[in-house]
Amino acid sequence: MKSINLKENQFIQFHQKISFKFDGVKYFGYKGDTIASALLRNNINLVGRSFKYHRPRGIYTCGIEEPNALVQIISEYSEPNTRATIKKIYEGMEIESQNRWPSLENDFGSINNLFSPIFTAGFYYKTFMGPHKKFWKNLYEPLIRRAAGLGKPPKDFKGISNHIHHNVDVTIIGGGLNGLLAAKSFINSNYDVLLIEFEDRLGGIINNSNKISLIDNKEPKDWLKETIQEIEESKNVKILKNTLVTTYNYINHLIAIEDRFVGSKPIEGKVNSTLHKIRTGHTILCNGHIERFLSFQNNDLPGIMLSSSFEKYMCRYGLSPSKEPVIFSNNSNSNSLVYSLIKAGLKPKAYIDSRSGEEIEPNLFDLIRKNDVPLYTNSQIKGAFGNKKIEKILVEDSSGALNEIKCDCLCLSGGINPDVHLFTQSKGLLDWDEKDLTYKPSKPFQPTITLGSASGQFNFDNLNSEINEKLKTFKVKKLDVKLELNTNTKYNIEKLWEVSPQKKSLWAKSFIDLQNDVTTKDIRQAITEGFDRIEHLKRYTTNSMGTDQGKISSINALGIVSDLLDKKVNEVGTTIYRPPYAPLSFSAIAGRNCYEFYDPERKSPIHSWHIKNGAIFEDVGQWKRPWYFQINKDESMHDAVQRESKNVRENAGILDGSTLGKIEIKGEDALEFMNLIYTNSFTKMKQGSARYALMLGEDGMVKDDGIICKISDQHFIATTTTGGAATVLGCMEEYAQTEWPNLKVFMNSITEQYATFNISGPKTREIMKKAFPNINFSNEKFPFMTFQFHEFNGIPIRILRASFTGELGYEIYIPSNSAPKIWDNIQSLGKEFGLAPYGTETMHLLRAEKGYIIVGQDTDGSITPIDLGLSWMIGKSKKDFLGKRSLTRSDTIREDRKQLVGIIPSNKADKLEEGQHIILDKEIKSPVPMLGHITSCYYSSTLGHDFALAVIKNGHSMIGTKAYASTSSMSTTGVDIVKPVFYDEDNKRLVS
Amino acid sequence: MLIINCPYCGPRDQSEFSNGGEAHVKRPDGSKEIGDREWGEYVFIRANPKGLFYERWVHTHGCRKWFNCVRDTSTDEILVTYRLDEKKPNLNNFKSVVKTPSGEPEVGSGNFTVEK
Ligand SMILES: [Zn+2]
Repeated sequence: MKSINLKENQFIQFHQKISFKFDGVKYFGYKGDTIASALLRNNINLVGRSFKYHRPRGIYTCGIEEPNALVQIISEYSEPNTRATIKKIYEGMEIESQNRWPSLENDFGSINNLFSPIFTAGFYYKTFMGPHKKFWKNLYEPLIRRAAGLGKPPKDFKGISNHIHHNVDVTIIGGGLNGLLAAKSFINSNYDVLLIEFEDRLGGIINNSNKISLIDNKEPKDWLKETIQEIEESKNVKILKNTLVTTYNYINHLIAIEDRFVGSKPIEGKVNSTLHKIRTGHTILCNGHIERFLSFQNNDLPGIMLSSSFEKYMCRYGLSPSKEPVIFSNNSNSNSLVYSLIKAGLKPKAYIDSRSGEEIEPNLFDLIRKNDVPLYTNSQIKGAFGNKKIEKILVEDSSGALNEIKCDCLCLSGGINPDVHLFTQSKGLLDWDEKDLTYKPSKPFQPTITLGSASGQFNFDNLNSEINEKLKTFKVKKLDVKLELNTNTKYNIEKLWEVSPQKKSLWAKSFIDLQNDVTTKDIRQAITEGFDRIEHLKRYTTNSMGTDQGKISSINALGIVSDLLDKKVNEVGTTIYRPPYAPLSFSAIAGRNCYEFYDPERKSPIHSWHIKNGAIFEDVGQWKRPWYFQINKDESMHDAVQRESKNVRENAGILDGSTLGKIEIKGEDALEFMNLIYTNSFTKMKQGSARYALMLGEDGMVKDDGIICKISDQHFIATTTTGGAATVLGCMEEYAQTEWPNLKVFMNSITEQYATFNISGPKTREIMKKAFPNINFSNEKFPFMTFQFHEFNGIPIRILRASFTGELGYEIYIPSNSAPKIWDNIQSLGKEFGLAPYGTETMHLLRAEKGYIIVGQDTDGSITPIDLGLSWMIGKSKKDFLGKRSLTRSDTIREDRKQLVGIIPSNKADKLEEGQHIILDKEIKSPVPMLGHITSCYYSSTLGHDFALAVIKNGHSMIGTKAYASTSSMSTTGVDIVKPVFYDEDNKRLVS
Repeated sequence: MLIINCPYCGPRDQSEFSNGGEAHVKRPDGSKEIGDREWGEYVFIRANPKGLFYERWVHTHGCRKWFNCVRDTSTDEILVTYRLDEKKPNLNNFKSVVKTPSGEPEVGSGNFTVEK
């Protein structure tokens, strides 16, 4: 295909040369060129290899509907599957063709074309069904993986996308003739209007074709300039260019992606794209139409192009891809291409129309006769032939005779479809138009208006009346635009979906989906095999399942299926076009919610001290908590944990517990409320005392635990687990509002307002005395499970005597801002007593030695307080609390429920692991009755061996018996089932 | 994404809210004897109709207030939102389409874009 540059063009700067590389070779294009137009200018027609058969493919269209010309942009972090027909070139751009090896010209994979008779519809699925499983693993999978595909994955690139929200009255999608007229009607009205255009300029068909000769007696381009200026100057219409609406959601919610680097190289770290999230009162779809192709043998050869795309290259890019293309059409839409060619001083090599001479538009007839263009009416192309490019076609004329025509380019038109993708995304209904042979929008589901060819108005006669009628509800000014056309006004089409090949051959291919290499034969085969429902057929053949969603071909497939099934197209139905309209990158969707902003990190006020002191952190929800502290780089986690835990048992340790959830509950009825939320009864509890409490779901299962401090009957402070804080507060609020609105109670999170230090160990009292000399820490004055408010150096603090380690312990609550100072002070004062910080792992070990559970580790949402042996925590005399009635459900009083027990290896040297199953037999013989599993497991240097907590069926009654823990190597370890407490069973140390 | 009209704050994006399931489910009175069946239904059983549905929402990332609404589960349209202390509206006041947007058959989950 030899192209020529047309002399004048308002969009291409012929004086500004741009160099770029395609497959390593340097070429020149002009400013304004897309990759496709620049390649065509350089007479490059072979652009890629096809998905399945590796057939040579060229440029088929001039827009977003492109199925073939997908390229990899090497100069942009190797961005794959970029449509060459929309991506603009820039200086130094590097482009590579896809899916070929070793080169585009000599592609080894094209051997697939020889084997094509076996790669038919459902091939992929059939490979799963083969006789030998080995076939899939050793033959099919590697074969399919190597052969199929488009581009290669891109390289790392930190693209940034911004999200912008719009709230407008009207959104007009498409800045073509109808979009501009609609926008014009709204100028200076009271409506906020957004006009969105995918291309870098407004005008649509005015720029892309020679269909219109005069608008309001002006040259179209002059009219366009004036209209755009009017719109730009208006106060209420905002224009977004380079912006593609990809998604039309419920409640007129639109997603549009704006490319911020059109015609230049995206810069890393800069905003590359903007995702517009638009909420609009009304949506006006003016997104036009898409031309479809026709199926005949080898309709995929490079050099074959849609006719309106050819015309767009002429009008929009000042380029005629060929000097003398052959045109093959079944409708009037290609008339204007003939007009454009002749206007440019060129002419078609032949005009072939499936329609009879009487049906062909008189204007076209005159034009063809006057210019001596060979005309074939009532004729069809039986096939196109050539080596990697079209060289000749075979035409069957009205008499049935075959004519061979040599050509380097073939323009096709199989009719046009309204671009209904967004309309169907909005859940609007389509209706088949038997005259225009296409699906058109019928019933909108949302406040959606369609105008022009997007609504199926393929003629211009009703331009004014359609807009005036459909925009009536807005009471905007009426339009009266006078339009004169260069070609006929009435759209006319004759049914033609497919031309059968001249010779039947296993290798003859008429494509119905170019991107996914689906042939019309595949459609026939699928129907024969019983996949005659359109949604089944789509998946079985993969027709229209490519990234282009079959924009130029899916209606043809419906036509072929309806003929094969002898059904009306409306009865066949159509598959659903799904968002997005065209692929958009994940980085655009993620916006700023990525990298350090993906999930916020929460840090305690002591965080920087932890970093300085060798803390290794663990994520607990969003919190960063010290897991353990390394005293030197060589210390292993095991060693650190044993050192820390030994120090707590022998001296004293300090844990940063600031992440624990803290909720303050106040109000006249706070006591009654707390009695309803927690299992415990707080009524008889003294002011200034604290209580370990459980919270259940209504199903009776343990949801959270914590310590409740009673300041008065009207004032409580509750702690929650680190991860459960938000849920517990949410639950309290829910019940306060929905179930007990009569209770006067309020609650608020104070988690981040207070830091918490947990100090425990036999020497703790000495440290506390030294740190807070004015406070009496004696057992009499400060008993276990009580708390006191004090002031320390002007800072209000609360000290709670409680412990999660089993040692004498205190929790200090300090306003966050003052916490680091007091923490530092305690560290230095505590040194002489051996005080050392410990992390969450040591905390877990120490609490497990005492048999204290961790909600979410030892429980999993199916464990009741009774299962945990915590019946004493249930306020049985209370009338009601969350989940109370569930504790006597038939399921919760079952005897064989999983219950919490302790596990120690019978041979103390044996190791245990979390997750191990507890079974009764030493030998593993399937089926193995499973009793339950180990939920927590540690090595204790205090005990000198491994120990574990486990939940096992009927566990409480099994205490004192022997069982086995299964290992991953199919052997077992003998274990003793014991009470879930391994250290200081009488709590002597706790209350010392 | 839906727009939900919080009775306290006004219309806001759905992302600010959390769904709380069926509304007007009465919690049995704990001070009285509650049968296994009655309690079981309260804890585990919720209606799941296609069409008009009383539903609870909470303005989690807003005023944190719970409120009720009537939502058409077949179109996702929220027909009315109201405070917890307001009387529940009569469903007969609303037009029930009981049909998905695409006009699919009443039973089943096929998806068609063409009217059947
Ligand atoms: Zn609100």
